[in-house]
Amino acid sequence: MATVTFELKEFYDKGIEKQRLITAVPEFGMEIESIDESSVTIDITPNRPDLLDFTGMVRQLRYFTKKTQPREKGYRIKEESGISVTIDPSVHDVRPFAACMVVNNADLSGNALKNLINFTEKLASTYGRKRRKMAIGIHNLDMVEGSNLLYAASRSKRIVPLGEKRDMSFDQVMASTDKGAEYSSIIPASGDPKFAFLEDKKKVLAMIPIINSEDTRVTESTKNLLAFVDGTSKKAVEDTLKILACSFIDSGATVSSCRMIYGGKEETTPDLTLREIRIRNSKIRKTIGSRLDQSEMISCANKMGYFGAKYGDYILAYVPPYRVDVLNEQDLIEDIAMGFGYLNIEPLPVMSAGGGTPDASSEYHNRLAKTMVGLGFTEAMNQYLTNERTNFENVSREYKKDEVISLMNSKTEAITMMRTDIIPSLLTNLMVSAKERMPQKIFEVGKVFKVENGKVVEQDRLAFVSAHSKANFSEAKSTIEAILMHRKGWTIEKHTDALFIEGRCAKAVANGAEIAVFGEIHPRVLSNFKIEEPVIAGEFVSL
Amino acid sequence: MNDSEIKLLGFLSKNKHATIKEIEKSLGISPNSIASIAEQLSASGAVETSKQNVYSIKITDEGKSALEEGFPEEKLIKSLSASGGKEKLSKIGDNIGLIWAKKNKWVDIEGAEVGITKKGTLAAEAKEEYEASKILSELSKGKNEDIERIVDAQRSYIDILIKRKMIELKRHSNISHITITQKGAELLESNDGAEIDQLSRDIITGMKWKGKKFRPYAIEAPAEKVYPARLHPLHEFIDYVRSIWLNMGFTEVSGPIIESAFWNFDALFSPQDHPTRDMQDTFFLSNPKQLNVEDLEILNRVKKMHQKGWGEVWRADLAKQALLRTHLTSVSARNMKTFRDKRASEYPIKVFSIGRAFRNESIDYKHLAEFYQTDGIVIGSNLTLANLMSIMKSFYSKLHIDVKFMPSYFPFVEPGLQVYYHDDKLDDNVELIGAGVIRKEISKAIGTSKTILAWGGGIDRLMFNFFDIDSIVDLYKNDVGWLRTRGDLKL
Repeated sequence: MATVTFELKEFYDKGIEKQRLITAVPEFGMEIESIDESSVTIDITPNRPDLLDFTGMVRQLRYFTKKTQPREKGYRIKEESGISVTIDPSVHDVRPFAACMVVNNADLSGNALKNLINFTEKLASTYGRKRRKMAIGIHNLDMVEGSNLLYAASRSKRIVPLGEKRDMSFDQVMASTDKGAEYSSIIPASGDPKFAFLEDKKKVLAMIPIINSEDTRVTESTKNLLAFVDGTSKKAVEDTLKILACSFIDSGATVSSCRMIYGGKEETTPDLTLREIRIRNSKIRKTIGSRLDQSEMISCANKMGYFGAKYGDYILAYVPPYRVDVLNEQDLIEDIAMGFGYLNIEPLPVMSAGGGTPDASSEYHNRLAKTMVGLGFTEAMNQYLTNERTNFENVSREYKKDEVISLMNSKTEAITMMRTDIIPSLLTNLMVSAKERMPQKIFEVGKVFKVENGKVVEQDRLAFVSAHSKANFSEAKSTIEAILMHRKGWTIEKHTDALFIEGRCAKAVANGAEIAVFGEIHPRVLSNFKIEEPVIAGEFVSL
Repeated sequence: MNDSEIKLLGFLSKNKHATIKEIEKSLGISPNSIASIAEQLSASGAVETSKQNVYSIKITDEGKSALEEGFPEEKLIKSLSASGGKEKLSKIGDNIGLIWAKKNKWVDIEGAEVGITKKGTLAAEAKEEYEASKILSELSKGKNEDIERIVDAQRSYIDILIKRKMIELKRHSNISHITITQKGAELLESNDGAEIDQLSRDIITGMKWKGKKFRPYAIEAPAEKVYPARLHPLHEFIDYVRSIWLNMGFTEVSGPIIESAFWNFDALFSPQDHPTRDMQDTFFLSNPKQLNVEDLEILNRVKKMHQKGWGEVWRADLAKQALLRTHLTSVSARNMKTFRDKRASEYPIKVFSIGRAFRNESIDYKHLAEFYQTDGIVIGSNLTLANLMSIMKSFYSKLHIDVKFMPSYFPFVEPGLQVYYHDDKLDDNVELIGAGVIRKEISKAIGTSKTILAWGGGIDRLMFNFFDIDSIVDLYKNDVGWLRTRGDLKL
């Protein structure tokens, strides 16, 4: 989610009242994060980058409140601008895609320039993934010399960076400017880094995606612009230019196209052709579950910016170019549902014959838990995330790196791995309960995690501990035997485990496999957990 | 009557009356126990007790200094006598000794001059011992019996010493003699055995209780504290949530916690460069680093879905990254496959899951890196947004929450919605769960042409509505005291 802040006064100037804004914004799926006397901050979901723009937000609000009808004929490109960009093969492994347009008669006075800068910054940081995937450069066209520009990549160019007086080498820009530092992670540190750049007949216009040139700086009085978008995703680059083009056209400027020359191939950008979605009325009704008639559906589509028309049992909806999120009819249906209003949809129960069945293992775990409660143990529930110290070191068990599910990127040392046993969790619980009355008897039914023979194993287990002055091996054994009462074919055998006192530790074995270990916890372990009373413990390693 | 009461009465009936000391000597019961048995018997009229005052005395610091250095009035006349028997009043100043010396008629005050009397001279030469000093000294050395005698004999001096804060005197009333009454003698006679104290197998089977009384117990006396063993409150809450789904006809399913990015993200149309797939939000694993995606058909269809939908290169190696599931929708995705081709009559199929999900949070008292979610899907034909809303409404109504819906965006659903309610106390909307109709691209990639309704969200926080806890972290601390004494869930 990205948030944008707009001045309320600007909305009033466009005929949108505060109250209407507050009710409408959530109805088309955005959230108002905060609002006061002068400004509003709105959370924009990642599917609607067009709403990061003030012009885009006003457009959506005016359609939604039915103050304006969507453009029947779509967005027009005036003509070819005559500007072409040659895309040099050197950008291929850096930022291979580019799109460009010319904007005439732009009005950047008042808040318009500030809004444009905010919009392009937000767009490049969210939709453009912090400029890595896509970056935007807006230049003063009147300062661009020649009509054929070059988009290439090199290390040995120079630029007068925005806000500087003298020209610098690309390496100097990286080393000495704030923007250079901010975006340094995008540029590969090793090898021979190459920077994409845009160049006219005489000079470098932009070192991409770091900074534009001072020479083509845009001011409030700039009327004619060159908008250049480039990146690693063709779709993101072209979609961004579409959103920008619609925004300029909606604010009264004219847009003309540029030719992009890739080797022998040529493309013209931006492409503002309207896409058409044709959908059966019944399908819309069947998805939403409300009885909308055809003209209501069209009116709902209009509220979301589509130009809609009737076509027999179908509706035809023309998708505006800035709606880059609309892939197919499902997206249209959602928009119609929003236009209709989620609050107006009457909930309808799903009919089905069968009843629900609980998961057999949850039921079994519940029965085990109740047995343990019956034996006087209170249930604990611990986190599955732990660390090597608690799980191995403090219980005198060996850390076998290959068998442990380990986190690659934890933010804290307290959680570095998934637990492999439950007893360490329960000993931690006894540690925090030191001041409570004895006896303390707790158990847990939960999961432990391991890598065995290269496979991940998620195992359900039961473990218990009992702490009091008279806790001893026979209590542990009684408890194990009580739990195993109705199972057949098990025996108790000697066992060694440094967690327990030697000679006071045993295992239950069934069909040659260990099913539980138990015994008296060794005082060395108790000291690690600052426990001052004897403790017995048992853990079923298979349930 | 119990054994020791009978024992005491028996002794008294032979001796008529006895002192505590005598009883202690012949019965071997401690004086404290004798006193408490006697109190019990006295309450039922079986004995009479005579009491005796017992004093305990404490010499204060003031008293100690008087003992060591003499009383202030003694010091005064000694110094007067040394300075020729006369002194200016102004020189003596504010002296407590002067008041007492005057009272003792050791000095006269004439005008501004203090003069020693004959009596005073005798006292100063210590020809006559100062009575107050003598008593104080006796008290300080005396044994208990002496103190009682002194206190009784020298009451007026004792009072003065108390007033002068040289001693503190406490009086206790102790039983000195116990005398058996007529009633006591009768009781003893009628009692051919003790009152029954602890009931025993022997008494029950041998009918020995017949004709005997049961000793009544002091019911107000404190009993030892014991606690019931209990389930964890989160377990109780999860079970309640399970029961809601089960009653709504949903079948419970589960799935792995250690998951591939494929089932957690890719199968759900989450773009490979989406910020939630960042290291900042998701726990990726260093062991194992990768998990294989077995179903190559689904893998290939998911790949095509991504390439078409997002217009990007799709990398199988990123899909194989091992991670801790970030939501239970991964379980739902796997179950879309499990339930994709059942017999027509089995649809709609309704399943739910409850389990833990993980997010790479900086943990503190409010935030945990792991938490419980519930997730569910309905697979079938003719399923609508209105159906989805109905399921959400019924589910939350069982939790006494009246929910509303607003549009929201999740890459795997279209239309998508957010389920929320208005919290009157906070005067704010509280988001509960995300829901929607699974995108056709996803259901087709997984291998079904059916419509799938889906939802998922956290449930830990809902517990706050039903249970008094300050912080979600307390739930997992497992303080034994808290687990044993916590209140009940108000479900």
